[in-house]
Amino acid sequence: MTTETVNTAGADVSASQKKSFGGIKGLIKRYENLGYKAKKKIMHFISRIFVYFVLIEMAFLFILPFIYIFSTSLMTSQDYMDPTVQYIPTTVNWDNFVKAYQALDYIRSFFNSFGTSVLSALFQTVACALIGYSLGRYKYKGRNLIFLFVVLVLLIPPQVMILASYGLWATLSMVNTWGPVVLPTVFGLGLRGALFVLIYMYFFQRIPDVMDDAARIDGAGPIRVFGIIMLPLVKSAIAIVFIFSFVWHWNDNYEAPTYMYLEGYQTLQPRLANIRNYFSLYAQSQMMSELDRALSEPMLFAGCLMVMVPVLLVYIFGQKQLAAGIERIGVIE
Amino acid sequence: MKKQIKAKKQLAHSQKYTLLSFEKRRSIEGFLFSIPWLIGFLGFIVIPLVLSVRISFFQTVLTDLYGFQGTSTFVGINNYVKVIQDPSIGQTVFESFGMSIIKVPVIVAFSLFVAVLLKQEFPGRTVFRIIFFIPVILAGTIMTYLFADGVGNMSVFSTITTGVNEINTFFGTIMSNIGSIMWASSVEILIFLAALQSVPATLYEVVEIDGATAWESFWHVTLPYISPFVILNCVYALVDSFVASDNPVMSIMNTMTQEGTKYGQASALSWLYMLATLAVILIFILLTRRWLK
Repeated sequence: MTTETVNTAGADVSASQKKSFGGIKGLIKRYENLGYKAKKKIMHFISRIFVYFVLIEMAFLFILPFIYIFSTSLMTSQDYMDPTVQYIPTTVNWDNFVKAYQALDYIRSFFNSFGTSVLSALFQTVACALIGYSLGRYKYKGRNLIFLFVVLVLLIPPQVMILASYGLWATLSMVNTWGPVVLPTVFGLGLRGALFVLIYMYFFQRIPDVMDDAARIDGAGPIRVFGIIMLPLVKSAIAIVFIFSFVWHWNDNYEAPTYMYLEGYQTLQPRLANIRNYFSLYAQSQMMSELDRALSEPMLFAGCLMVMVPVLLVYIFGQKQLAAGIERIGVIE
Repeated sequence: MKKQIKAKKQLAHSQKYTLLSFEKRRSIEGFLFSIPWLIGFLGFIVIPLVLSVRISFFQTVLTDLYGFQGTSTFVGINNYVKVIQDPSIGQTVFESFGMSIIKVPVIVAFSLFVAVLLKQEFPGRTVFRIIFFIPVILAGTIMTYLFADGVGNMSVFSTITTGVNEINTFFGTIMSNIGSIMWASSVEILIFLAALQSVPATLYEVVEIDGATAWESFWHVTLPYISPFVILNCVYALVDSFVASDNPVMSIMNTMTQEGTKYGQASALSWLYMLATLAVILIFILLTRRWLK
């Protein structure tokens, strides 16, 4: 290191020693003397390292909750309290899952959650495509007004309407059925419906006009053009909307629990939210110690894992389509 | 000669006519496609909105929520006055607005940064693109539990900023919530990715030939091109934080409805809150409309 600094200092002093490059200064000089292509290659390499470094770091932050849930769900309460036990439990405690299964009333809640989520996702995928198609590919009087309505629906917090809607559903005696959650999605509304409309609109706008002009000249009607030409062209949007709709409905802990609150009609989310109460009741009935009662955390996270699994599966199996959707979104063909 | 002009006129007229009818046909088609949504809009948005305005003027009971049967009493703007006069509500609203305004720039900057990185071509990018959507899976109750357990709380970051008092509270809030802020940015990353991928590659080639560095091309090509999406993302992040179920204003509304007698007040509060949020968003759009096009 010292010799190198001496060298560069020497290079600065005497012009005769131009060739002896060393140290960081020398490296920069050597880099400056390279050709365009080599320069680009080096910069590319450096940026690649930087990108990987930053992304891996952040990806870790995003995976961390998964690891936390998974490891905590396998711990005993002693492990959970022990500060020396971090992430790796001393013994695997499967009992957490059994207790969480009972507390969640898993089969019935799962059925409610899954039914509402799948139906809503299916309906939204179709209905939002219709309105998105209308907004994205047609110009007509009032189109801008309808677009404004869609944006407005996006901006109105559901909390403003939930009381009035609850009353409406109650007069229709449809509270504690799947109706309040599923019916709005039939028309392309419902949970984040407006966002899906905008996504579809965006995708439909990107398709070149020649596509449907050609089909029209060949004599296809509007429904045919929509179903056979247009929908297959926005496959990636369909994947995005279906997956997001399913996941958001599954995780909905506001609207669905408000409409479906009776025992047996609940979805998984409110059961999970009340899991602590269940455990304290359970502990009282079993004459468990104060400590055990307070430490329901591992069971709680076992419950979290059980609630997560279906979404995770949808995500993993739909991942290819989702990735394709993300790859293609916004790309101009 | 005259004949020719006449023929030409006729041709032009007929062309115009067919064009019009075709366009008319198309516009009717387009409208037909939007009809289901409009029906739903009327039934599930307009009617509840109108009814909720009505509720906000009544002292209601659950059996007669809309005041049609006479058991509820009309109280005029009393509910609104009560909400405005309650100092704790006002304070909570301002605090939650302040928190949103701190959070949003961080969310947008972070998601833009991640989107720029994810746009690069490198092996394994699909895996990363998938990973950054994990928070969407964990949303809801699970996320609440995770925050309660302090998983999103990066105490390492918050200790860095201790010492500088003025900045401390500001950065302290950001840093101790860095996990939650990052996890709130999945949809924003998606929108930015879409925007970045729509920038024509030829623009980058042009500035590269002119000798621009990656940094310069980001500031002079990418950012101006995607500026509408930056605004869009800001609005989305604002709305998202305003209506999040862990927002303190939302929990005030929930407790009001759970008490069973304050439906009118809850409605009034929700309307005032909605108008306030719309005002904030409108002001934001007016301030930034320069970058919208």
